[in-house]
Order: sequence, then structure tokens, then C-alpha cells
Amino acid sequence: MKKLVLVRRETPTRGGQPAAFVAGFILALGLGAILLLISGDPVWEVYTRMFERSLGSKDVMSATLNRATPLALAGLAVSIAATMGLWNIGAEGQILFGATAATFVGRIGEDWSGPVLIIAMLLGGAIGGALWAAGPGLVRAELGVSEIITTLMLNEVALRLIRYLQNGRWKDPEGLLFPVIEPRPVQSGLGTIWERAHLGVVIAFAVVAAFAWFAKHSVWGYELKIAGASPKTAAYAGISMRRKVLGVMVLSGAVAGLAGGIELTGTATRLDVNISSGFGFAGIIVAALALMRPSGVAVVALLFGAVQVGGISIQSIGVSSAVSGVLQALILFGAIGAGVLSSYRVQAVERKVVAT
Amino acid sequence: MKQRLLLVLSILLSFTLITAACGDDESTDTADPVDNGDSGDSGDGGDGGDDGDGDGDECSRTGTVAAPVKPDDTTSEVDASGVTAAFVYLTDPGDAGWTWAHNRGAEQAAAATGATLLTVDNIAEGSPEFEQSVRDFIADGANAVFATSFGYMDAMETLSGEFPDVDFFHATGFKANDTNFGNYFGRVYQARYLTGLAAGAASASGNIGYVAAFPIPEVIRGINAFTLGVREANPDATVTVNWTSTWFDPAVEGEAAQALLDGGADVLAMHQDSTAAGERAEAACARWVSYNSDMSEFAPNAYLASAIWNWGAYYADAIESVADGSFAGGGNWPGMETGLVQIGSLADDVSDATRTLIDERSAAMIDGSWDPFTGPINDQDGNLVIADGDVPPDFGADEEGRSLLDQNWFVEGVIGSAGG
Repeated sequence: MKKLVLVRRETPTRGGQPAAFVAGFILALGLGAILLLISGDPVWEVYTRMFERSLGSKDVMSATLNRATPLALAGLAVSIAATMGLWNIGAEGQILFGATAATFVGRIGEDWSGPVLIIAMLLGGAIGGALWAAGPGLVRAELGVSEIITTLMLNEVALRLIRYLQNGRWKDPEGLLFPVIEPRPVQSGLGTIWERAHLGVVIAFAVVAAFAWFAKHSVWGYELKIAGASPKTAAYAGISMRRKVLGVMVLSGAVAGLAGGIELTGTATRLDVNISSGFGFAGIIVAALALMRPSGVAVVALLFGAVQVGGISIQSIGVSSAVSGVLQALILFGAIGAGVLSSYRVQAVERKVVAT
Repeated sequence: MKQRLLLVLSILLSFTLITAACGDDESTDTADPVDNGDSGDSGDGGDGGDDGDGDGDECSRTGTVAAPVKPDDTTSEVDASGVTAAFVYLTDPGDAGWTWAHNRGAEQAAAATGATLLTVDNIAEGSPEFEQSVRDFIADGANAVFATSFGYMDAMETLSGEFPDVDFFHATGFKANDTNFGNYFGRVYQARYLTGLAAGAASASGNIGYVAAFPIPEVIRGINAFTLGVREANPDATVTVNWTSTWFDPAVEGEAAQALLDGGADVLAMHQDSTAAGERAEAACARWVSYNSDMSEFAPNAYLASAIWNWGAYYADAIESVADGSFAGGGNWPGMETGLVQIGSLADDVSDATRTLIDERSAAMIDGSWDPFTGPINDQDGNLVIADGDVPPDFGADEEGRSLLDQNWFVEGVIGSAGG
């Protein structure tokens, strides 16, 4: 009897990840074509539209950049936590609470000038996200409570908080009693820098680049890597695990919260339960695709954003949202699988015969 | 590390499944309504069918229903083949309900006018997907955009400013301009009133339940008009409101309906997009008034009447106004006179006297001589709110919020809080 196992390649395959990516991508398109044939959608038209409407012109490329912005920040948030071996499943809640905090700042500063208000709201978003992640970080550091469970549960709390504010405290008095929150001040809108792409794109990619640099070149980044790889070594070297765990979670939350602030000021007009579109959960996939490396997050987020933007565009030619969702997943999964296979290979090994 | 990865993946997977289940747009309750009906019904066991009481007879009646009161009349003289009308829906059209009614109207209007129809569904309110879908449609040549859910309002406003050559129609909102952005809705409360007449006459106990969605004027107005009809037919009857804070959640709506039935209600009305309340009423041998579309096939014995939308004629007119360039934004709130709102089919056991009353009141609303909110009308606490002979204005609420579009109080006979 033989069984199949994954074995790490001693030398990476020739061409490495780019080649694997292309192969996985083509394989995914092939599988997607079968799916589309089964669902009765025109394969060529669907694929050309997905491309044209996500990367085919300046206008849609700017939309893809906007879409990639929260994905990159959420992906970065997840990968920051992952450098310490922590799982931040709560980026969604941190985005939502970040947007809530930014809205709070907007309510205080409705008379402030645009630039001041925008900076205050983005900082508010980051602080909000940091606070939302600080609780799970604290109980993880002090009591060893799994941050997977606590961050996940706080997602729901953040959502319910917005529902509460919609129906009560922050309800729009001009909303004919509809459960909507008052619009943010008009001067708090992020300006556009290129076509429809807003300033948040630059902020997000600057944050990603800055973290990638610090992770590689600073003492702090080195300590993180040690602490994540081997807590015992880190303790021996005098690195405080407690402080590191809390610090990393707070930073991770702040990055996700910033995404919430950017979505509020960049693409939305008011706080809403749907402001995030699942970016926090998508961020986990972004981080996984980037193999938890902050440097890879930006590239993956751009691909992810293009696939999502293209995926929405094919729904308006009659592809059902379910088929579109599966197609998007196939393309991304194809890339993940290829990424794994470029570093690992499948090997058939003999099952061990248990001696009696 | 590996175990933790497994935990993360399983949590992600289960979340995906939960989200998928919540976003399920089947307009039917998949829960078994019979089980729940039995557990809530203490006195009437499985062998109680031949005890001769009224409930038993009603429950075993044949479920044929009468023909619709008013046939569809979606016709058009204008050639609108140059119009490409794009519709954005919150949910899949499914088999019944709000989106189904809009989509049916859109298809009828496109067929009648020769316009090209584009649709997209499952677009969440307040999400960036809405704006992107509309931009995709405009890039495809759409020159009329119809958005059928409240939360699309802000994005519609922004887009209408950016694309002055495209006409934007927004259902249920309140924003508009005077060039290319308008809002529209219908006086469905008029049809609700008519269903109230049937419900009041059908209720032996005088205890009627209402599975209500969100405490907003549209829903409150429907409850009030329904109650006015109920008490016209049955002056001592009351309408008990149970809020769900949902637009489509069969499980929650079914539970809310069950609570009302357990409290002794023998007729249910509802606002949401699912048939859950009807299925509970069917199982409990009670009666049911459906909304949005005629849902008689989902609960043939319980079905009594329905307040329905007939968007075909409205959308044909709207598309014509795009074709001839006469659309100029603004608000549009037509009633029974246009056929946009009407009462659906009536169950065959609705008496001739009730049918006559429904026809009379229907005619009075169609010719504009009367409205359900004609005073005197008392509020829940018995205070006179609308004076004898007065009809509140549509807009421009006074201090008490007496305009129809701002209605935030319950009429006499409603049990429950208008605050939700």
C-alpha cells in the first residue's frame, strides 16, 4: 500500500512561484470553463469581460486599486499576527469597529476642515481597530486564551454594535425613520488621485511597504520572527513574549481598523453593516496566498481585487452570483495550490506496516 | 501550528456555510412547519379531526382561490427600443415576493416597450458592489437604472450627478433631483386596507397577528391601514404586532408567526419576503394574508387575501419617459388608480358581503374620492389624531408626524409599540 504525502522540495522548482502561478491560473481557468459550460454561460465572453472590467482600462484599473486597498490592509493585518504564530480571524470586526470609531470622530469634528478631519478619522479608525484587537491580545498574552475564538466572536459584536447605532443613537434624523446612520461630513471624503482611485490606495500600499521593510530590516522585526518561530529561543534571548503578543495584536488591529477608516472616507458615504463586503475574511485568504509574508500581500491583494471586480462584472451579464463566487474561488485556489506545489512535491510513500 | 491551521480553516469553512445559508434566497421556509405547528397546538391533537369544531372545518376546506381582482394591463404604444433598462436587486427574484414582483414587472415592461433589460441580483445595500454594478451597466449602454432597495440611495445620488445622460429611478427612498434622479414607491397601504377587511371578517376570535419587519413608516403605515380595514369589518378586533427586524429570514419570521398563533391569533398578516408566516398559519389551521405577491400556492388552506405589487405598468411608463426624454426626476407615489398596487386573489370562502365592501372601497380609492386614512382616526391611546374628514398630506409632517410618509404612530386597535 502506498499513500500520497507532501514533501518539501530541497531546491525550489525552476522558475519557482511565477511559473507555478501561471500554471495554476491556467488550470483554474480550465476548471472554470467546465463550470461555465455546465451553468450554460458563454465561456469566452465571461473571461474576456472579467479581464476587461477589472484590468482592461484606466477607469476599471482604478476601481481594482480601490478594491485592493482594504484587501491589502486586511491581508497585512492577518500576516502581521501570523509572524508571531497568531491568527487574527477578527480583521472583519476590526474593520467594522474602525469604521465605527472613524464615524465617531466625524461626528465630533463635523465643523473641522477637510484635511484635519480626514487625518483624525483615519487615526480614529486605526485606534478603533487597535482597541478591538487589544482585548483578544491581552487575554492571549496573560491567560493564554485562544485569539482565534475571541477575535472571531468580536466580529459579530462589532456588527451588532453598528445595528444598534443604526436603530438608535446615530440614526439619521432625515432618514424617514429608516434604520440608517447619519452620513459622514461631506468634507471628509478622500480625494481621488488617478481616475477613480482614492488617496487611500497610496496610504494602504505605503503602510504595507513600511511594514515589509521594518519586518526585514529592524530589530523589532527580527525579534518578531524569532518569537514566532521559537518562543523558547525568544525567552532565552530575553524577548518578552507577553508584550510581543499584545503589541502584535494591537498593530494588526490598527491596520485593519485603518482599512475601515479608508472605506468610510474613500468609498462610502455613511457607516453601514455592509461597509466591509467581507474584506476581513478575504484578508485571511490574501495573507495565506502571500504565504504570510507582508511583502507578498500587496501583489496578492491586487490580483484578488481584480478577480473580485471582474467577478461582479460578469454577474451583470447574467452569470449567477453563486457561479461567479465559485469561479473567483477557483482562480484564487488555483494560485494557492500552485504556490504550495512550487515549494512542495507530492510523493507516494509506503505505508508503515505495524509490527505485531 | 498545524492543528491551529485546521481550526482556522474549519472556522472559515463553517462561516462560509453559514453565510451561504443566510444568503439563501429561496422564498420558502425549509423548516418543517407541521412539527412546529403541533408543538404549539396543545388542545388539537392528531386525532382531533372529527370533533366538529370550526377550526377543523376551516383547515380541511379545499384550497381553491378566486381569480385576481384586476388583470394585468401592461401595454405600451411607445417604441422604446433605444432604452436599455438596468435593474439592481437585493436578492435573487426567486418564486415570490418583493424582488420577484419587480423582476416580473421589469420583464413585462421590457416586452411591452421593446426596451433591452439588464439585471443583477444579490447586491448588498451600502456595499461597493452596487456602484460597480451600475457602472458596468452604464458601460454596457444602460440609459436607465432602476434600484429596488432603500440602501442604494446614496450611491444612486452620487452616480446620477456623474452620469447626467442616464436616468436613475430609486424605489423606496426619499432623495431626488429635478433632472435625472427620482424616487418611486406605491400606496400599497391602500391594498393593505382591503386585505384588512377580509381579515377582520375572517377572524372569529378577533385576535389578529401581524409579523412586522422594521419599525419604519412604510411598515407602520401598512399595519395601520390593515388595522383600519380589520376594524371596519370587525370593530372589536385587535392586531398584535411582532417585530422581526428582518426583510427575509424564514426561521425568525416563522418563530414570530408561531408566537402570535400561540397567543391565540386566528389570522396572520406579514410584511417580509418569505412565506414562513403562511406555512405556520397553514399548520395551525389559521388564516393568512400575504404581501408583495399572491402567495396562495404556498399555503392553499391558510391563504385568505394578499396586497400585491404589479410593477409592469409602472415600469413601462417609466421606460417610455426615458425614451421620449420626459423623465425629470422627482418623487412618484401612485396608488390603486394606476393598478400598481392591488388586492390579489381572494379565498373562495370570503363572503359576498365582504367582496362587495372590498369592491366599493377599491372603487372609491381608484376614483380618488376616499383614502383609508380619512379621519376620524384615533391613535393607540385613544387620542384623536386625524380629525373627521381630514386626510393627512403625503409629505411635510407637522409636529406629530401626521404626514403619511413620516407615519410613526399606531392607530387604535394595534397592540404593540411603533418604536419596534
